[in-house]
Amino acid sequence: MSSVLQKLITPLASSPAEPPRNKVTVVGVGQVGMACAISILLRDLCDELALVDVMEDRLKGEMMDLQHGSLFLKTSKIVADKDYVVTANSRLVVVTAGVRQQEGESRLNLVQRNVNVFKVIIPQIVKYSPNCTLIVVSNPVDVLTYVTWKLSGLPKHRVIGSGTNLDSARFRYLMSERLGIHASSFNGWVLGEHGDTSVPVWSGANVAGVNFQSLNPDIGTDGDKEQWAATHKAVVDSAYEVIKLKGYTNWAIGLSVADLIESIVKNMSRVHPVSTMVKAAVVVADSLESEVGEMPDKERMWRKWLWNHNLVATSWDCGKGLLPFPGLHHHPGPQVGAEHQLHHQEGSAEVVLPEAARNLTCQRR
Amino acid sequence: MEVNTRAGDDHQTGAQGCLRLCLRTTRRAPFMFCDRDEKGIPQFASVVSCRRKQPCQMSTKEKLISHVMKEEPVASANKVTVVGVGMVGMACAISVLLKDLCDELALVDVMEDKLKGEIMDLQHGSLFLKTHKIVADKDYSVTANSKLVVVTAGARQQEGESRLNLVQRNVNIFKFIIPNIVKHSPNCIILVVSNPVDILTYVAWKLSGFPRHRVIGSGTNLDSARFRHLMGEKLNIHPSSCHGWIIGEHGDSSVPVWSGVNVAGVSLQGLNPQMGTEGDSENWKAVHKEVVDGAYEVIRLKGYTSWAIGMSVANLVESILKNLHKVHPVSTLVQGMHGVKDEVFLSVPSVLGNSGLTDVIHMTLKPDEEKQLMSSADTLWGVQKELVL
Repeated sequence: MSSVLQKLITPLASSPAEPPRNKVTVVGVGQVGMACAISILLRDLCDELALVDVMEDRLKGEMMDLQHGSLFLKTSKIVADKDYVVTANSRLVVVTAGVRQQEGESRLNLVQRNVNVFKVIIPQIVKYSPNCTLIVVSNPVDVLTYVTWKLSGLPKHRVIGSGTNLDSARFRYLMSERLGIHASSFNGWVLGEHGDTSVPVWSGANVAGVNFQSLNPDIGTDGDKEQWAATHKAVVDSAYEVIKLKGYTNWAIGLSVADLIESIVKNMSRVHPVSTMVKAAVVVADSLESEVGEMPDKERMWRKWLWNHNLVATSWDCGKGLLPFPGLHHHPGPQVGAEHQLHHQEGSAEVVLPEAARNLTCQRR
Repeated sequence: MEVNTRAGDDHQTGAQGCLRLCLRTTRRAPFMFCDRDEKGIPQFASVVSCRRKQPCQMSTKEKLISHVMKEEPVASANKVTVVGVGMVGMACAISVLLKDLCDELALVDVMEDKLKGEIMDLQHGSLFLKTHKIVADKDYSVTANSKLVVVTAGARQQEGESRLNLVQRNVNIFKFIIPNIVKHSPNCIILVVSNPVDILTYVAWKLSGFPRHRVIGSGTNLDSARFRHLMGEKLNIHPSSCHGWIIGEHGDSSVPVWSGVNVAGVSLQGLNPQMGTEGDSENWKAVHKEVVDGAYEVIRLKGYTSWAIGMSVANLVESILKNLHKVHPVSTLVQGMHGVKDEVFLSVPSVLGNSGLTDVIHMTLKPDEEKQLMSSADTLWGVQKELVL
């Protein structure tokens, strides 16, 4: 007796199933990973979602919970496994795996713990999805994006850190709250390291093209009567604040990651502040040299130049005499991808990274 | 030419920022003067000349924005409150936000730190959302004038624990919550999610004093979704094209109506008359068992369920707030239907719109299906009559 399936449905094509076109993998099913997953699913961004983690029970439970909601979604395939084979042919891989920031712990302290985790994860991802774009979310995001880039061997434009996309979103929300408008109507960029030393670019802050700095030339400085700089401080502190109150942050970062994925998957050519390779440092130093002639301490002059142009908010003291940049080769510029193929200074990054992470001291301006 | 200020105004323009603003707005020579109305709001249209003696006292916001509405702002039109910010409550909140269903979202809970943390986290995502006002407080006044209140508060099912065991614990919690909701939103619709949902919907109905069409239980909307997902997996079709209704108690004794299971109107039981029976070679009965066990399985694996129920609730919220008149299997008063005599809430296919649950669909049930409903009703009534309300 033929089954219900056979009586009900006559297949017209007997070819094997088409591979997915917009597959997204989320590595790590903690609070951040699941917030990314649910945001991606509810925004209809992928045709297949894969989840990977080491904790098998939790992974299976999360997958089942999402699958039970598939009636309400437009993502027909949700899979999960400890084995990275389920991630094959992904277009985008979101890496949220890693250990969580503890209360009071700075992001830089997480580095070594997370580097060890990434040494396992990244090669596996690339093995099964050699053409994917990697989005790194785990903290400290700028450093770990660099680590991911090195471990994956992918070209620079395919390794992105979620960076200050979230800081800018928080900044725009907090500023717009003071003004009584929606966050999307306030334009402001926060660049730099995702975290304590992010840089609010006050010269660009505007509403409907009306520039804030021209209304209030003191904006962002200590002399500002209205203390707008406190808003940026609230942005920096907000993650710690939320962690103190509920133990972790997830919804905002999940929405932020879904926003980035939307731009990538839909090929929107939007501009986001994300963590990418910045070789501007070298160009600046070169131009500085050509302007002022030979300088004994090239790095210090370069830092001063950036300081004077309000591109950094902290002065770094890195005793190694190498490029003393927060996040090292990862200072986010306001562009996605690496159309800016600037002259690359070979070799320094590998030497710089682990040592600088230990030796960096930063003083707030 | 100068224009006099109104009485009480000692503001004199002149600092750099104001100068630039004046130049930009009027393109006249720098000696500009801002007229002010009775509230002290500068009227840039009337700028004529200025006396620059002191730095400009206007704040950046005042220089940027002029408030032009005299009346009080209009209240939110589609406010949703979520009571309880545990895993289920937050999953409901994020699903409602991502589907752009409300213009204001309020969260309430007793745990103040967690509540504040969750509200901050959601607010930080405001850039990506279309819900401008997200508020939270321990005090229910923040929920005032809600159109819809989703109640997820209550004790959670432990591994292996049945939903009925939670009852009295949750009744006591509801005795605090429901009157507070009603006090601040006397015209709202209450959507109960906490388990055991059928009993607690009855409790909410009694405690609120609302008419029956405004108290709804999330019921078997989720069970039916799980069933359609499993059916879709079996047939390799999207769940939205697989139709099957699970009614009755949300939980162990839910009733799959096999006669209604169809794809494109083709009844599957017509193709397989054994469907749902023990003798069925394809074992469709196991599909229903998997639906019942599904929740326990997820709880065993990850400690709780959240995403599926969150999406299911958002699905119901959408039908209600957008007045869709869609049919959902949700928990409502079934007294007088299918042989049920007591005041019991069970899930039957119901029409949802912005008035609430306005109509119920008559299902033609087999005798054994009706018997199952009646026995569920008896079990629930047995528990309900012992409750201290």
